[in-house]
Amino acid sequence: MISPRFTKLKIERIVILTGADAVKISALSIAISFILFGAFVSFEGANPLVAYEHIFSFAFDPRLGLPITLHRGFFLVFSTLAFIIPMAAGIWNIGMEGQFYLGTIGAFAVAYSFPDLNPAILIPLMLISGAIFGAAYGALAGFLKGKMNVNEVVVTIMLNNIAFWLVYLLTVGGPWAGIAESTSRPLPENACAPMIWNTPFTSIFVIVVAILAYFFLKKTTIGYQIRTLGSNPVVAKHVGISAPKISVIVMAIGGAIAGLSGYHMWAGDPAFLMIPRPEAYKAIGDLTYWGIILGLICLLNPLASVPASIFIGSIIVGATVLVRRLRLPFGLDVLFLGIISLVFAAFQFFHQYRIRRVKVVMK
Amino acid sequence: MSTTEADILFRDVKKGETILEMRGITKIYPGGVVANDHIDFDLKAGEIHALLGENGAGKTTLMNILYGLLRPDEGEIYIRGRKVEFKSPLDAIRMGIGMVHQHRKLIPAHTVLENIVLGHPKVGKILNLHEIEQEVKELCEKYGFKLDLHAKVWQLSAGEKQMVEIVKALYRGARILILDEPTSELTPLETEKFLESIKAMAEKGLGIVPFVTHKLPIVLSVADRITILRRGKVVARMKREEATMVNLAKRMVGREVLFRTVRVKTKIGEPILEVRDLHALNDRGVPAVKGVSFVIREGEIFGIAGVTGNGQQELAEVLIGLRKPIKGKIIFRGRDITNASILERWKLGMGYIPPEREFGAIKDFTLVENIAMNYYFDEKFVKSKFLLDYDKLRELAMKAISEFNIMAPGVDTKAGHLSGGNLQKLILARVMMRRPKLLIANLPTHGLDVGATEFVRNKLMEYKTGGAAVLLISEDLDEVLSLSDRVAPIYEGRFVSILPIEMVKKEEIGAMMAGALSGGVR
Repeated sequence: MISPRFTKLKIERIVILTGADAVKISALSIAISFILFGAFVSFEGANPLVAYEHIFSFAFDPRLGLPITLHRGFFLVFSTLAFIIPMAAGIWNIGMEGQFYLGTIGAFAVAYSFPDLNPAILIPLMLISGAIFGAAYGALAGFLKGKMNVNEVVVTIMLNNIAFWLVYLLTVGGPWAGIAESTSRPLPENACAPMIWNTPFTSIFVIVVAILAYFFLKKTTIGYQIRTLGSNPVVAKHVGISAPKISVIVMAIGGAIAGLSGYHMWAGDPAFLMIPRPEAYKAIGDLTYWGIILGLICLLNPLASVPASIFIGSIIVGATVLVRRLRLPFGLDVLFLGIISLVFAAFQFFHQYRIRRVKVVMK
Repeated sequence: MSTTEADILFRDVKKGETILEMRGITKIYPGGVVANDHIDFDLKAGEIHALLGENGAGKTTLMNILYGLLRPDEGEIYIRGRKVEFKSPLDAIRMGIGMVHQHRKLIPAHTVLENIVLGHPKVGKILNLHEIEQEVKELCEKYGFKLDLHAKVWQLSAGEKQMVEIVKALYRGARILILDEPTSELTPLETEKFLESIKAMAEKGLGIVPFVTHKLPIVLSVADRITILRRGKVVARMKREEATMVNLAKRMVGREVLFRTVRVKTKIGEPILEVRDLHALNDRGVPAVKGVSFVIREGEIFGIAGVTGNGQQELAEVLIGLRKPIKGKIIFRGRDITNASILERWKLGMGYIPPEREFGAIKDFTLVENIAMNYYFDEKFVKSKFLLDYDKLRELAMKAISEFNIMAPGVDTKAGHLSGGNLQKLILARVMMRRPKLLIANLPTHGLDVGATEFVRNKLMEYKTGGAAVLLISEDLDEVLSLSDRVAPIYEGRFVSILPIEMVKKEEIGAMMAGALSGGVR
């Protein structure tokens, strides 16, 4: 008699996850999201392959979607870096949105106050002011976490709300209000971002920031302390690393990077603030939350955040054609993004476990 | 008591009959580590069968397989000739197997009886504590345990807590009892009592497997048979009569082990650390260190001997700055450091070896990064002000590997790939190579096997000759006595006495640790 053979699945814990594995897992999650969303598209009566072709041809067409893809993509790089640096110390910065809005206030306040300054001075000033505003806002949460052990997730989320309303009140009927509804006065000419390939120069700038962040974490003494604290707070304490100090530092750095994106987002084209009504489903600030998921799938590697963010940026921009060109139901683009983020989040499981097939022979 | 599956399985067991057989047990961990390689093991009713081996020899794996916590890749388990397969500890318990873990798993705020009943199948229906109390009492009488069933667990000593764990296992119907390092937290007196009671239990026909690492004398005094594991294989099995300390150790380690560290005397120099009337609270806010004063000088090892929970951990934490004292003064090389931060203390020349490897090393970091932990603040290892000099750190890591005999494929390996003993050596190397003037060695050989223990002890002995002082905290009285120049037994947060080694009698120190004696010199 032949003994029956089975294949059993076993779940094992992974001790150390390599970068190559992480890339494989991400590729797998992208594939699965595409298949899942494809099912929805065909359910709506369209051919998924055609849909995907439209999405990416639009997103990467230099005359159509590419400038926005790059703009949004690089905006996500800022958010991702703002998440990664605190996370390297074990602190969850969910406050990129608030820090971004504060950075916006910092940058715009300078521009409106000194509209006649030479761009070579005004623009760096706006960036610095945005970074300082964002850093201060981040450091507040970092201080509360480090000194009083107040949960940083709760604090940063609440601060996000406050920051949104500050910008809203400044813009909608406030001192910065412009002529059109929910928009601010245009930025003075001198404050507008010089464009490179139809995208603000800050896109190149953020790549430099990403490289600096990588070396900062990898090579500096502070970076070492950050990683030690993030890997094991107890060990860090034993060797004299001060958790309160480091949490303020990382949140200030994260906040500064998010604050810089306040300039990047608004200062290009059309160069004014556009604040949706709070009940609108998609505020610009919501984009910053992609920083969380992108940071995690990049395994907190700042360099990996650039391609990953551009990819998500292309979908954010490209998926809008589904509604416009293919006449598919409104909101399907948002569904696609939702599926991607859910699948990515679910596949975080494979960062900790692997499933192995074992052959079992029954006797 | 109602009849259970185990009752039926173990009906009419005669003493000396083989009740448990494990055949060809093989367990391979992911990454290819063979923890158990075709191990055969058996147990007779009424027998104490000791399982001996170094760290990583596979004892824990084998016992976890027997208790259903792990599933073997190959091999079979038979209980009274019947093949069994355990999917979880519940299955194992049902078949009459009980395990008492090294770290107690009791709820301190509950009474002894409530703890015994917790998790029992009878709970969950209507709880009849009276009936249960009666049954537990009968059980205690049968085996001669004296336990106050209504005492709260936090009021009990370590030995009594262990008793509770054993009764709990027995009440769940255990016929085979696995004891994981059973005496590691007991005082010498409690150990003696404990050994008496497990002998009594064996008399009544229970099969007992204690697995013990380095406490060879205990094995020799109680075990009927001894099985020695090395690198996942059975290397020897012998009756007690055939065993001696020397041949057990040799089989375990695979080479000759000297049981003596040669004490070196060096010149005693300047005072390094002076502690005056130190008081500190523990994590629950209860006084743990109650007025400790002492001086340590260059060239001496000052040993603190005590049973866990008598304030020695809190004392060590206060000294390195992890815990704030509520009263008292710490003077280090003439400087008041009572309020200095941990980092300042490291910079001033204190070194600390934490009691658990988990407090000292990060598994996800490479060896170089782990070495950097005591050097990131050191100017010699920082270049252009902000950058860590990884080249120099690599050199240091390589030096550590060769000087401390660390088995590692290279300095860029992640520490998670190292065995526990090698990780401990890495921490030791990192701290010692700073050459701190005061080395606080908190349980430096905790959980190490015989070979590594010997190595660490010799390193400590060598260390003091370089004009430094060592504060040694250990639960192993033999360790303290063989290394220290002066010994302070600690009991309930106070030094019972401070004795030069020449004046120490082992029995006396043991009694002092147990609170039975207060010494003359204070």
